[in-house]
Amino acid sequence: MDFAPLELSADTHAFWDEVRAFYSEHLTEEMLEKEHREGNGFIPSLQLAMGARGWVFPGFPVEEGGAGLDPLRASLVEYEMHRRVGPLLPLFGPIHLVAATVRVFGSDELKAHVLPGVARGEVLMAFGYTEPDAGSDAAAVKTRAVRDGSEWVITGQKMFTTGAQLCQYSMVTARTDPDAPKHRGLTMFLVPLDAEGVEVRGIETLGGERTNFVFYDGVRISDMYRLGDVGAGWQVASSSFAVEHHMPNGTGGLEPIVPRLNEFGWYGVLGALVDAAVEWAHAPRSDGSRPIDEPRVRDRLAEAALDRELMSVTPGPYVRVSTSAALIRDAADLLDMVGPTGVLPRGEEGAPVGGTLEWIHRFAQGTSIYGGTTDIQRNLIAEQLLGLPRHRGVLDRRS
Amino acid sequence: MADAELRNNDFSLSDDQETLRATFASFFERESPIDRVRSAEPLGFDEKLWQQLVSTGVPTMGLPPDRGGDGAGLVELALVAEQAGYRLAPVPLVPVVTAARLLARCGNATTEWLAAIAAGTRRVALAVHPARAGEAQLVPGGAVADGIVGFVENHLVLATRSEPASGPRNIGSEPLTWWDPGDPHESLLEVASGAPARASFDDACREWRLLSAATLVGMAQAALDLAVQYAKDRVAFGVPIGTFQAIAHPLVDVAGAVQGARHLAWKAAWLADHEPEQAPAEMEMAYLHSCRAAQQATAVGIHTQGGFGFTLESDMQLYFRRAKSAALLAGDPRARLAAIADHLYGPAQPELTGQR
Repeated sequence: MDFAPLELSADTHAFWDEVRAFYSEHLTEEMLEKEHREGNGFIPSLQLAMGARGWVFPGFPVEEGGAGLDPLRASLVEYEMHRRVGPLLPLFGPIHLVAATVRVFGSDELKAHVLPGVARGEVLMAFGYTEPDAGSDAAAVKTRAVRDGSEWVITGQKMFTTGAQLCQYSMVTARTDPDAPKHRGLTMFLVPLDAEGVEVRGIETLGGERTNFVFYDGVRISDMYRLGDVGAGWQVASSSFAVEHHMPNGTGGLEPIVPRLNEFGWYGVLGALVDAAVEWAHAPRSDGSRPIDEPRVRDRLAEAALDRELMSVTPGPYVRVSTSAALIRDAADLLDMVGPTGVLPRGEEGAPVGGTLEWIHRFAQGTSIYGGTTDIQRNLIAEQLLGLPRHRGVLDRRS
Repeated sequence: MADAELRNNDFSLSDDQETLRATFASFFERESPIDRVRSAEPLGFDEKLWQQLVSTGVPTMGLPPDRGGDGAGLVELALVAEQAGYRLAPVPLVPVVTAARLLARCGNATTEWLAAIAAGTRRVALAVHPARAGEAQLVPGGAVADGIVGFVENHLVLATRSEPASGPRNIGSEPLTWWDPGDPHESLLEVASGAPARASFDDACREWRLLSAATLVGMAQAALDLAVQYAKDRVAFGVPIGTFQAIAHPLVDVAGAVQGARHLAWKAAWLADHEPEQAPAEMEMAYLHSCRAAQQATAVGIHTQGGFGFTLESDMQLYFRRAKSAALLAGDPRARLAAIADHLYGPAQPELTGQR
């Protein structure tokens, strides 16, 4: 047990300064403002600048395009970014997970073809599992892949392929054996999005992020782009789900490329929410009074601070479920605290704390849904960690 | 943007801590089976079990070596308290430990008492609210204590009474007593006074809440385990009820709350042992969240067991009643929110607000 402040060497402090200076240069207020408007999920110029330093895969050896950083320094690279972007740029995590999947399940040829460009920040990749009729039931895939010699022909429709408008690849589950049981007839592919027959169409969301439909109309790709065996698509997908959901088992050798700390990623949004609320509470009103001196405000801030601390100490798979619930609850409560001006969004005159509370209140709703709903995650925890018998709705997995 | 302080976030137990936890898990499993818990009701005390616990050295292990203890920290005490909570051990562990630690911090006037506590011939309990003559308060563990440590109008006192105490019936089967320092049967020995005494008293009350938090974590874990087992065994509509999401999902939420509560208690204990000035907010959070987690766990547990869970035959009610009582004895748990805000944001300045 150890919660002491990290003891950083002078070298690490110097590195940390370097990281801060890097983001001051490559992640400017103007870029963040643009991201607020467009919700792309990536900033390509930032990705390139990070790639030039090996910071897309900071812990990888230099010869694999990484920077060979120790875990602490690798974490600092991500930590400083998340401190600046809050809930923005959500796609930094998925790109790591797709790359990790390519590393474990891709052929040597595919790895050599794709990963160096990802490490340089030139190549971006997206998740492409979900379909209009296959959300939580992720294996109910209708998109087809038909073998034609050394190629595959892919036809179908994916949705919620977030980042597809900027990505070079999408990791796609496709049905290769329509006669096999649902979970055994799937194969995973890394589909180049510049291939003929791919069409990307934007979807706007409540939280401001842009996501996409991606249509595949007879898209021809080489067998090189297959990830894992034919018919093993569900196992490949499950490995990445297990990492994404912090489940202790079933990752199939996949590991997160950057060490996961609960303060990072959208979990950090709870921290951004509390910080914004505390800032609001300390600003004096025109009569000199401050909200922070009122019991109703102090109780709310204490509740939210407790949830934030709980997030940082709650282990493994539980944290995603509890943090999403806390974020939805606290964002609503802290927006109530602000009163009428809480309805004003970012950019409107008089919007408290730059509209941050209003924005996070909308953003929070998505956190219980994307990456698999928290209800699906509760099923996994009930079954795998509490040892409860399997939920009836998924009995068909046994077939 | 202020620099956030980066800390380690390591919840692993050392070999010694793991051994301590395992040792007391089996001690309480062996010595505090549920029928012994039931037969200790309504008082909630088993003298023989207390003497067994004394022989392990636990009640005084948290005292400094020069006061007859082993210098164990709150982390170690929390590990033991969780196991006592898991088995609802009918012993006043938290009251004695916290009151004895407080006495040990206040000079040599009570050396004899500390020796007697270690020998098992006397017990002390902590009055967890500042006291005044003429105002009686309920003291946890007080009904089986020979002395009560309290803070009375700027003085820290050890109170003994000329007549044996009797305890009121209560939902938690806690050996409670009414205590009024102005009662003519009470004799008060002053052990400290002034601001340092108040600070020591406040520390002791936070320790009481922290170790109660650990006890509540144990209760919550036990209630969860009982409920999960029931959900696996009980068949309805031809299947175990645990296959229904309406049953399983609330249990998952309880499991998350309990894991969070345990880690909060450990981190708070570690901070109190190593960086006490950083600890108070974490200790208040640990107590508040443990109170909530234990109430959630036991209420969900009753609901999972359905009609059986509502009967006195079910052990769940033993946990449900104690979880509520441990959450009440330090006062409204929501009052902890104000304390958390004070530690995080400084005291309120209502004179500013008063201008509105």
